[in-house]
Amino acid sequence: MQDKTSRPSPLRGAQSKQETAGEPNTGGGLLAAHLLTRRQFTAGSIAVASGLSALGSACTGCDTPARSADTSVRLHVNGTRAEVDIDLRSSLLDVLREQLQLTGAKKGCDHGQCGACTVHLDGRRVASCLTPAVQADGREITTIEGLSPEGGPLHPMQQAFIDQDALQCGYCTPGQIMAAVACVREGNAGSAEQIREYMSGNLCRCGAYAGILAAIQQAAPEIGGT
Amino acid sequence: MQSFTYIRPSTPAEAIAAMAGGGPGTRFLAGGTTLYDLMKLGVEGPLRVIDITRLDALARFDTSGPHELVFGALARMSDVAADRRLKEDYPALSEAMWKAASQQLRNMARVGGNLLQRTRCAYFRGGAPFACNKREPGSGCAARDGMDRGNALLGASDACAAVYPGDWAVALVAFDAVVDTLSPRGERSIPLAELHREPGSTPEVETTLAPDELIVRIRVPRSGAGRGSTYHKIRDRESYAFALTSAAVAVRLSAGVVAEARVALGGVATRPWRSPEAENVLLGQPLTEDVAQSAGQAAFAAASPGVHNAFKVELGAQTITDALMIARQRAEQP
Amino acid sequence: MATSPPASASAVGSSVPRADGPPKVTGASRYVDDLPAMPGEIFGRTVRSPVPRGILRGVRFDPAFDWSDVTVVLAEDVPVNVVALILDDQPILGTGKVNHAYEPIVLLGCADRLKLSRALQAVTLDIDPLPPVLDMRAALEGEEILWGTDNVIKRYLITKGCADAERERSEAAIDAALARCEVVVTGTYASHHQEQLYIEPQGVIAWWDEAGAHATGSIQCPFYVQKAFLKAFGLPADRIHITQSVTGGGFGGKEEYPSIIALHAALLARKSGRPVRMIYDRTEDIEATTKRHPASCEITSGCDRDGTLRALKIRVLMDGGAYATLSQVVLSRGALHASGAYRWDDVWIEATAVATNTPPNGAFRGFGAPQTIWAIERHLDRVAGELGCDPLDLKAKNVLRPGDSTATGQVLRESVAGEECIAKAIAASGYRQKRAAGPVVRGRVARGIGLSVFMHGAGFTGSGERYYKGKIAVDLAPGGRLRIRTASTDIGQGTETVFRQIAADAAGLPLDRVEFEVPCTTTVPDSGPTVASRTVMVVGSILEAAARELASRVREEQEAARQPRAAQEGQASSAAPPALSFEEAADRLLAREGKVTSLKQYEPPSYVRWDDEAYKGDAYPCFGWACDVAEVEVDLDTFEVTVVDFWSAADVGKAIHPVMCKGQIEGGSLQAIGWALSEEIVWQGGKIRNPRMTNYIIPTSLDAPPFHVVLVEAPFPFGPGGGAKGIGEMPMDGGAPAVAAAVEHATGIAARALPLTPERLFEAARGAEAPRTAAGRGERARRYRSSSTVRRARSICRRSRGCSMRSGGRSGSRARRRGARRASAARARC
Repeated sequence: MQDKTSRPSPLRGAQSKQETAGEPNTGGGLLAAHLLTRRQFTAGSIAVASGLSALGSACTGCDTPARSADTSVRLHVNGTRAEVDIDLRSSLLDVLREQLQLTGAKKGCDHGQCGACTVHLDGRRVASCLTPAVQADGREITTIEGLSPEGGPLHPMQQAFIDQDALQCGYCTPGQIMAAVACVREGNAGSAEQIREYMSGNLCRCGAYAGILAAIQQAAPEIGGT
Repeated sequence: MQSFTYIRPSTPAEAIAAMAGGGPGTRFLAGGTTLYDLMKLGVEGPLRVIDITRLDALARFDTSGPHELVFGALARMSDVAADRRLKEDYPALSEAMWKAASQQLRNMARVGGNLLQRTRCAYFRGGAPFACNKREPGSGCAARDGMDRGNALLGASDACAAVYPGDWAVALVAFDAVVDTLSPRGERSIPLAELHREPGSTPEVETTLAPDELIVRIRVPRSGAGRGSTYHKIRDRESYAFALTSAAVAVRLSAGVVAEARVALGGVATRPWRSPEAENVLLGQPLTEDVAQSAGQAAFAAASPGVHNAFKVELGAQTITDALMIARQRAEQP
Repeated sequence: MATSPPASASAVGSSVPRADGPPKVTGASRYVDDLPAMPGEIFGRTVRSPVPRGILRGVRFDPAFDWSDVTVVLAEDVPVNVVALILDDQPILGTGKVNHAYEPIVLLGCADRLKLSRALQAVTLDIDPLPPVLDMRAALEGEEILWGTDNVIKRYLITKGCADAERERSEAAIDAALARCEVVVTGTYASHHQEQLYIEPQGVIAWWDEAGAHATGSIQCPFYVQKAFLKAFGLPADRIHITQSVTGGGFGGKEEYPSIIALHAALLARKSGRPVRMIYDRTEDIEATTKRHPASCEITSGCDRDGTLRALKIRVLMDGGAYATLSQVVLSRGALHASGAYRWDDVWIEATAVATNTPPNGAFRGFGAPQTIWAIERHLDRVAGELGCDPLDLKAKNVLRPGDSTATGQVLRESVAGEECIAKAIAASGYRQKRAAGPVVRGRVARGIGLSVFMHGAGFTGSGERYYKGKIAVDLAPGGRLRIRTASTDIGQGTETVFRQIAADAAGLPLDRVEFEVPCTTTVPDSGPTVASRTVMVVGSILEAAARELASRVREEQEAARQPRAAQEGQASSAAPPALSFEEAADRLLAREGKVTSLKQYEPPSYVRWDDEAYKGDAYPCFGWACDVAEVEVDLDTFEVTVVDFWSAADVGKAIHPVMCKGQIEGGSLQAIGWALSEEIVWQGGKIRNPRMTNYIIPTSLDAPPFHVVLVEAPFPFGPGGGAKGIGEMPMDGGAPAVAAAVEHATGIAARALPLTPERLFEAARGAEAPRTAAGRGERARRYRSSSTVRRARSICRRSRGCSMRSGGRSGSRARRRGARRASAARARC
């Protein structure tokens, strides 16, 4: 029996240790916040000066948000190995978003009720908000950031979402795409009805379901599995 | 969320040993879709968590055995739902799986833990300022005179009318499933029908499992009514929702009459609810719509509806009726 | 319906890939909670009232708790404790009186999020409860006064025809007109709260520095937040920097509420000297933020025996919640749409919004119109029943045509497309044949079809645009590029893409030469809020003018460069002069002038005349028109309703981007279907019992029917791109009445209240109202057991209109999904 709590786990701070290069394409650690430009939240739009780049003197030198760390896990995220000190209570979603800066998976409900946090765990789609991060120890995790190589061509499902205009606000989109890729690989994309049933765990309030269905039908033959 | 310590055994024996050494406040954690969810809400606050998801020995299931179907407690719901043999031989069991939750949650949740999912009663999950005897014993029940659309019509007590929310256990109870458990005292088997308790005066005690007891497998004896079965689930939307009413039914027909009948209800009772009343109506009768309707009504003869859930008397009876018609069609197929 | 690469000739009218597509599909877009933590950042949370009404006696902080690293903000810390919007009646933090459950009282900030949740539990609010007024009728009766002198937030009276003669006696006049009519029908129609349920919860990050106050977040209208900061902090506008981050849907929900979150975050930031991140979780978002106003409409109409509509009397009552927020404007739009898309000789509409001790209601797509259109459409279905004709014939006969005047006396001239929309929707859906054949019952499933006809005013009501003077700027950027600066935000509806199309076409440039700047109040002009279906039609039109002007200045530069050279060289040789490219000319112009910008301010068309006192005149510069047709299957055993097909013929003036335009119509229609069938806020004692995504039920992919959208283009001469009109809100208007009409066709059950849940249909089938209170519990329960609703429903179905019963295999998606549930031949019911 392996008792994780009995292992020495020196607190190494909230930052993750990236063991290899190939940092996820969102980039930027916690301390890079002051370098934040608008480009970062509006990729696709232009970056302009003002606002966020200016920081008050009152803020500099303050600590980063406290986070207790009581164990260390090895996560294989998007092909990169990372050893991360975590609070046992943290969800996989929170660790991905706040400690690994992989903010593609979204928090829409934090209770497994919307699907926006969908990632792949050992190839299966899961709700990362209801997955304790410690359970992902040693597992392969794929997030939207790891679906296609940075700077390379989009994954066929990502391209299909653009081609079919399968999104509006985009907040549910990373979860939809991760669910859609899994749906095809599971063999659950055989018909429109089957796709609609097996995608019903991903809510889209903008109502882009028709486009999402069309996108999955477009991408399925390229991905295979059905 | 309360802090906890975390243990990850790799064999059932280790898990039981860890539990034995853990003391009160120690909980097994599998898929986490109930326990971790309720920890986030502050409803559950275990001090020690034993993660059993790596007990690989319990993850297998076999639907081909000559006498019984065997499901390791840690088999994933999604895998069981996709099992082709189960779809053909026991459609009710398969449907109870794929009509539950979403594929993401079915990938996480395990068939053993699923039996123990806790009620969706908003008062239980929401907490203060509303009272809940299940959440805080003795505090009262805000649901009884509140919004009772989600309350149970069967098996409720003055203390609690929270509905058992699951699907799988409803289908299993129809097929006389048995649960095998492991504890420091050894192995034992519990008929599924005896696993869940009615709330009575202690709604916080939901099962007959001891706190240190681990479900290791579920066994379903083979039944001649397997193919003539369905799990029929009525919801507020087409998918990804809990049952308003549901019915697991199975029939075997012989010489034009019902030779074997199994009826269980979901969404309307405090536990997975087998209805011998409905089954008795069916036995020996030709399975006509009128007979099916009588069976549906018999199942709700003892129902005690409130205000907002009163429609479920008819809805539930109709759900059974419709399920029986589907089951008949399947039973008649060569 | 795939997007296509930009057409070289013209971007407008072609479905180019959306500008925000690539970052959104790769997860690179940064929504507010995706922004990396700033140094020193802390989290902010809100302590809220647990009771709907009471007197706040004090706030206690658990002395056993370590408060040393927790920032606490109380009402006394707020410089001017008012959320500036319209009536300035809402405090930023509650003090003295508590007026609704979830009212914010105390703000807490802490770097440790887990400690912060514990701190929340360590605060006790001492509130002496008072009896709450939770029902809008009780509020109107005014026994308990909780707002103003009579609980009435606003009241409007719209009169036309005989009711105009003497305004004091207008009600008697309309009653007299009704008494003269051949067919008089009366009914009351109710609609309920609706939660926007954007998938991204609300959130703002705020901080202060030497430049002033900053807030960035999920915001529809940055200048609303600026206005709130002006008032609360007394800062000059140039020291307030409100920036929109990528926004995960709004639908109205992020119109006015973000001001409150931004104020709260900024107050905590000011006191702590740190950046503050305040992100609502889903439950807090559902409980505390605004929702669609519930409404009740009492309608009496009079018409000729041939169906010519004559007189209309409506009383609209809306529940504003505890504070005024935008209720008066919502009520106005509701009242202005209450007479539907029809001609009436005499009209009397009295609309009242009252305050109750429930969380304030606010903007939601449609903004009051869906509530009143639900009522008038259901009412006309009923009138048609009285007349013995199909609702289509009644509606088509009376739909407004060019030359007709609306309830406010607005004479419609151009861009009037009600008839065309009806014709196209009817043709596409096969409505007539399906209605004539009667409801098709296969097994236990009845299929029916129904329609709604409606119009929706585009842009601000009345003189709104004239007062607001919305502005836009287009800058010339190096390399002959254009940069759009506008406060019109893209919250998913595609503003950025469509604006780039409009600007590119106006300037005669390829699409990729146009940029869209992030909306920030100190860098973009105030274009007016991103609301009221005004973004494309109003702001887009000045964008078009600005882009055209800027491009023509560059072309003048090209021209100027060519002429002297051509003249010179013409003397020297016959070779054709090389013209300056657009880019070269632009750079030359830019180098000479430093900054080249075209700033435009909106002026409504000169014909628009509006009398705010009399509520008469041109309520809107133009209307969008539409006809929705819904086909449903109703399970007669369980009363589950499935929308199996949905057609919408919608006049959009001109579709700048047809795919996204259809996306708006599909999305709005699906929200309307959700409102009609499953979405419902469950209240108990002024509190919400279902503040989660598992029990507030929005449509999934399986609930979305196939949408068949027919775009009708009746150009509005003052709209951009050749006549575009606003389209954002209209699709929310027609879905609910069309679905209800289809359910009525299928079952004979005429629903007059929303939503059409199984229990309401069960109840309606036996002609009783749905149970709403705990009263009469035993009696109701007995009735449930004693009668068979189902048989009743079937007999209703049999009785009504030559209903055709077919045996044979069940069809339809529900049947396919669930598998064959019944042996079919044996199941023919009638």
